[in-house]
Amino acid sequence: MKSFKKILIANRGEIAVRIIRACRELGIKTVAIYSDIEKDSMHVRLADEAVCIGPAVSAQSYLNIPGILSAAEITDSEAIHPGYGFLAENPHFAEACATSGITFIGPSSENMRLGGDKAKARQIMKRKGIPVVPGSDGPVTSEEMLLKTAKKTGFPVILKASAGGGGKGMRIVHEEGTLEQAFHLAQREALAAFGNSELYIEKYIPVMRHIEVQIMADSKGNIIHLGERDCSVQRRHQKLIEEAPSPFATEKFRKKIGELAVKAARAMKYRNVGTIEFIVEPDGSIYFMEINTRVQVEHPVTEAVTGIDIIKEQIKLATGLPLEYKQGSIKPSGHSIECRINAEDPERFIPSPGKITFFYQPSGPGVRVDTAAYSGWVVPSQYDSLIAKLIVHGRTRQEAIMKMKSALDGFLIEGIKTTIPFHRKVLNHQDFVSGDITTGFIEKMGNGGAGNNKGQATSE
Amino acid sequence: MELEDLRELISLLKDTDITELQIEKDGTKVKIRRQTLLSPIEVQTKIPVSPEKAMEETGEEMQRLMTITSPIVGTFYRSPSPEAPPFVENGARVKKGEVLCIIEAMKLMNEIESEVEGIVMRNLVENGQPVEYGEPLFLIEPA
Repeated sequence: MKSFKKILIANRGEIAVRIIRACRELGIKTVAIYSDIEKDSMHVRLADEAVCIGPAVSAQSYLNIPGILSAAEITDSEAIHPGYGFLAENPHFAEACATSGITFIGPSSENMRLGGDKAKARQIMKRKGIPVVPGSDGPVTSEEMLLKTAKKTGFPVILKASAGGGGKGMRIVHEEGTLEQAFHLAQREALAAFGNSELYIEKYIPVMRHIEVQIMADSKGNIIHLGERDCSVQRRHQKLIEEAPSPFATEKFRKKIGELAVKAARAMKYRNVGTIEFIVEPDGSIYFMEINTRVQVEHPVTEAVTGIDIIKEQIKLATGLPLEYKQGSIKPSGHSIECRINAEDPERFIPSPGKITFFYQPSGPGVRVDTAAYSGWVVPSQYDSLIAKLIVHGRTRQEAIMKMKSALDGFLIEGIKTTIPFHRKVLNHQDFVSGDITTGFIEKMGNGGAGNNKGQATSE
Repeated sequence: MELEDLRELISLLKDTDITELQIEKDGTKVKIRRQTLLSPIEVQTKIPVSPEKAMEETGEEMQRLMTITSPIVGTFYRSPSPEAPPFVENGARVKKGEVLCIIEAMKLMNEIESEVEGIVMRNLVENGQPVEYGEPLFLIEPA
């Protein structure tokens, strides 16, 4: 059970800064990697050492496995934290680290392979008695199976890519007539986006809540959950606002979904930190959707309500230490909300890269900002548009909402467009305030008209 | 102050824990500061008595010279093996495509070739030194 002396962070932006902070608190030295356009970025400034590994394009820099491993080698880094995105769920990378004698901070490559094969994951969960969204048993392998499964499931159905994610490679089919054509098109899209044309079918549930559970496991097989998060405020399957606990959850529901998550994690012999995503219907039916084999963007809301530093725990678990917490000691307290602030037009969500001429972040009790941005920083166009996460924690949901509104008003970012005005709109919307949010919320809000802050219910 | 002197000062800095060095000699003031990044040490030179002439020379010289930079992360070696002589000595003439050095990455030896025909003026990194992407390795005078 050695502790690491030096960790290389194979990522950039706010999560790289986050990981550097956790390492510092543990007394571990940090190595940043960067592409040649990110020399002035915050994670490079804050790390103890930094290595330029390639040009701007991700494939040659943040996804450059040989370059990253070489950087770890020349800096004598004992472990690599992959953050989220990039190589975080790449089993080849995890294995390459192991081959080089470097500890990969995260789950095993088998966990990742299963997590990345959504059709298979569903199958395994189903066999272990975990409810999954009705649909195909494994991938769709023939047109005959396609039709049979769709009919059995009942229209509308959604075709999803086994190797997919991020809302891509999904197609909703409303009736039998368009099924075959949709299938072929979805296969082509999946092949183009993920290099794998395999698809599976699920019943399409248009109005549902996206509730996920944070899990943590040590190398001995002890697994606990840290409570649920509600991520129903989404636009095109991209999360925008997350909160913990879910306004939908009762104590009974929380216990049930927490136990299902631990059961799912156990079914795949999960190690380290991860999240089980569920679809929850208005009547409270819970279905396993997928497992995310990484630390997630929205982990701070769980940290706020539990007081546990998830990144530090990840690092400790990776050294082989046993879980420090027992399920009984996990008692979420208060309410936390996170807004993802993107460098995008707040109405059309078109990316808005460029120089931030003025940056002043909110603060105060229960207000946290995770960011790598600063005054004078140029937001690059080559990477994703998330520039800051604003997280608040209040004793009640109402207090958290007030804090978020106040914090949004106190967040000054000039020179680029950001989604702050959008978040203000959501926080003022009647349905959000009442906790009545489903994944259809954003569209509904849009149809209600910009500036309709009182949120009259519109017909779907 | 010759460029050779600057080189010597830079390696002096690298071999010690000194983070900043300021020297005044023959009317030239030089300040060299080490950054925390694994990148070349920053050099600031104050121009001596006849500024235009000095600027001209340095400017011209730098424009003439081609910098060969590292395309990968790894460890720089001047010779194919520890006992062997360097691939190229300073002052040697090289052809385009000729191997200048090896950068070892993940136990693989990557040969770095000259992009031009010319004379190797100087090496900018020492044997066994770790290098990053874009790190200047050699100055070559195309000829």
